[in-house]
Amino acid sequence: MTQLEIKQKLTDIFRNVFDNNAIEISDATTAADIEGWDSLTHVNLIVAVEKGFHVSFTTKEVMALQTAGDLMRLIASRAT
Amino acid sequence: MLKNDRSGLGYAQLVKKAKSAPPENGLPLKMALLADVSTQHLVPLLKAIFAGNGVALEVYEGGFDATELEAYNAQSGLYTFQPQVIVILQSVMKLKAKFHDASGDRASFSQTEAGKIEAVWKAIQSRVHVPIIQSTFVLPPERAFGNYGLKVPDTLQGAVSEVNREISLRARSHPSVFINDIDHIAAWVGRRNFLDEKLYAIAKTLCALEFLPDVAQNIADIALASIGRAVKCVILDLDGTLWGGVVGEDGLDGIGLGDLDPGGAYRHFQFFLRELSRRGIILAVCSKNNETTAREVFQKHTSMVLKEEHIAVFIANWEDKATNIKRIREKLNIGFDSMVFLDDNPFERNLVRQLIPGIIVPELPEDPGLYLRALAELNLFETASHSSLDAERNKFFQDQEKREAEQKEYASIEEYLCSLQTAADFRRFEPATLSRVAQLIQRSNQFNLTTRRHSAADCEAMMKDDRQFHPFSIGIKDRCGDFGLINVVILKLHPAESRIEIDTFIMSCRVLQRGVEQFAMNKVFEFAQRGSFKTVSGCYIPTAKNAMVENFYTQFGFLRDANAPGPETRWSLDTASYVPRKVFIREANNPEGIESSSPGLADSQRPTLGTSKGVHQP
Repeated sequence: MTQLEIKQKLTDIFRNVFDNNAIEISDATTAADIEGWDSLTHVNLIVAVEKGFHVSFTTKEVMALQTAGDLMRLIASRAT
Repeated sequence: MLKNDRSGLGYAQLVKKAKSAPPENGLPLKMALLADVSTQHLVPLLKAIFAGNGVALEVYEGGFDATELEAYNAQSGLYTFQPQVIVILQSVMKLKAKFHDASGDRASFSQTEAGKIEAVWKAIQSRVHVPIIQSTFVLPPERAFGNYGLKVPDTLQGAVSEVNREISLRARSHPSVFINDIDHIAAWVGRRNFLDEKLYAIAKTLCALEFLPDVAQNIADIALASIGRAVKCVILDLDGTLWGGVVGEDGLDGIGLGDLDPGGAYRHFQFFLRELSRRGIILAVCSKNNETTAREVFQKHTSMVLKEEHIAVFIANWEDKATNIKRIREKLNIGFDSMVFLDDNPFERNLVRQLIPGIIVPELPEDPGLYLRALAELNLFETASHSSLDAERNKFFQDQEKREAEQKEYASIEEYLCSLQTAADFRRFEPATLSRVAQLIQRSNQFNLTTRRHSAADCEAMMKDDRQFHPFSIGIKDRCGDFGLINVVILKLHPAESRIEIDTFIMSCRVLQRGVEQFAMNKVFEFAQRGSFKTVSGCYIPTAKNAMVENFYTQFGFLRDANAPGPETRWSLDTASYVPRKVFIREANNPEGIESSSPGLADSQRPTLGTSKGVHQP
């Protein structure tokens, strides 16, 4: 998977989880940038990403996530 | 109704659905959620599932892991919220931590933990009378002794099983405590899939998000049953559903029912149906067959598990099934939404689904070996009560057919009623009748003036409080059989106003037209007279189902209060003005008189026989 493909797919997942088709993500996107990104939806997001990319993250990895960029790099390190 | 179809139970779908507005005119229900896990992911699912069942759910989320604090503090948010149902959710993760931290005697661990849980129930019950839905614990995967652990006392595995067992044992003596068997759900989907240690670490969720909808649905099933939404009747097709093949073509010996061929699956299906019958679900047959051919299988086939005695209504003819099901409904006098129709033929299923709104028609798999599993998955038969009377229900409807046949032979209805030799068992609430009383309160929809769903605990409290309440029940039997307890009246006493309020007046629809309500009303006024209460008042609160008692108070001479607000109507009558009704019912402990006449009151009224007309729901 190329970085672009990951970004596109991840954008779709973000839009679906936060129910907002206008969402665009970048490396620097944080929870503060997206309306409705709270502890509840964060869990929904992680579960949706794991399912969507057929990957599994460790607890530590999930807890270390700060930005959308972190998430994309984590996916890239796993996704085939 | 979601019970037809669980395909909409995906987590993401439900979360989306939860964002839409709650159902308009939905039945409001206030649920408190007390948990030692986070409940934020569960709440939207509950709301969506209840909305799908026409209920507008309002949820109070107790503080995280603050169940005991909420329960023991009379000023807590829990009680301020005034919940109608309380859900207690506990995670095995917490229980595990307690087990490993326990410094004391491990042998007493399960007793101690179960004791704490029961103490919370008691604390809640001392303050509010509402159903409590208690979860069980999921058996954890780790086994320090491997399989050998089952032989060793004081292991974690053993302790968790023991706590679960204690919860169910102790719940038996608390009629308003219901068990939400989370371990059953986990076992069904696989405990290793259900438990999600990572999500627990991150967000303290009870389980993997994927299975939270199952937990929510289970809570909804229990809560809905506790407010009377329960299946009362299963209507069965025959060929291909109860046995393999077609009896009209293959003949009695040709149908599949043997233990060694695929017919064995049908026998196992029938075992389950017989269990349902035992637990009080009415079984009916609706089949395209010649009646004699169909009945012959029940009478003669040695491998049949179900016999004619298990079938309350037997319809086999060549008319369409929707028409026949309507006929069954008329005989049983229950709503379509409390009926399940089982048929192996997709054409019949669709026809019935389309022509009979509300009826539950589950998809059945092609392979009869999977019928049981398909039904198990739907958890269709949740109930909030059980009484020994349940097993008699099918017999009752058979007795009823006998009565109907005899009725035709009498010249007048009075003569017929006399011939029945009806005896009434009238008594104030007592421990022995409480479970049946509570059940009637939950199940009755049509002959129900106020539809107040008092819980078993409420009833118990009213039983003990004879300064404020005079709650009584009536059971009747006649020469054809026993109806059991079929009438409940709760009188609320207002001595300061010299007034009695009829809080609840419920009758089972199976005893319409027999003068039971007149008998009961005589009892109300006897009581009013004895206690020197000047007036008796009551109200009618309309629902979608109780139009048949709209004019109930008129027939007894009550006057309507024109000032009553809202859709309900209020009525009252002076004790001195009541004319006792003549009835053909003798009191069981008063064998002399054939009628209930009230000493000291005039007895001049012509017989009044039942309510004017049985107006049934559409």
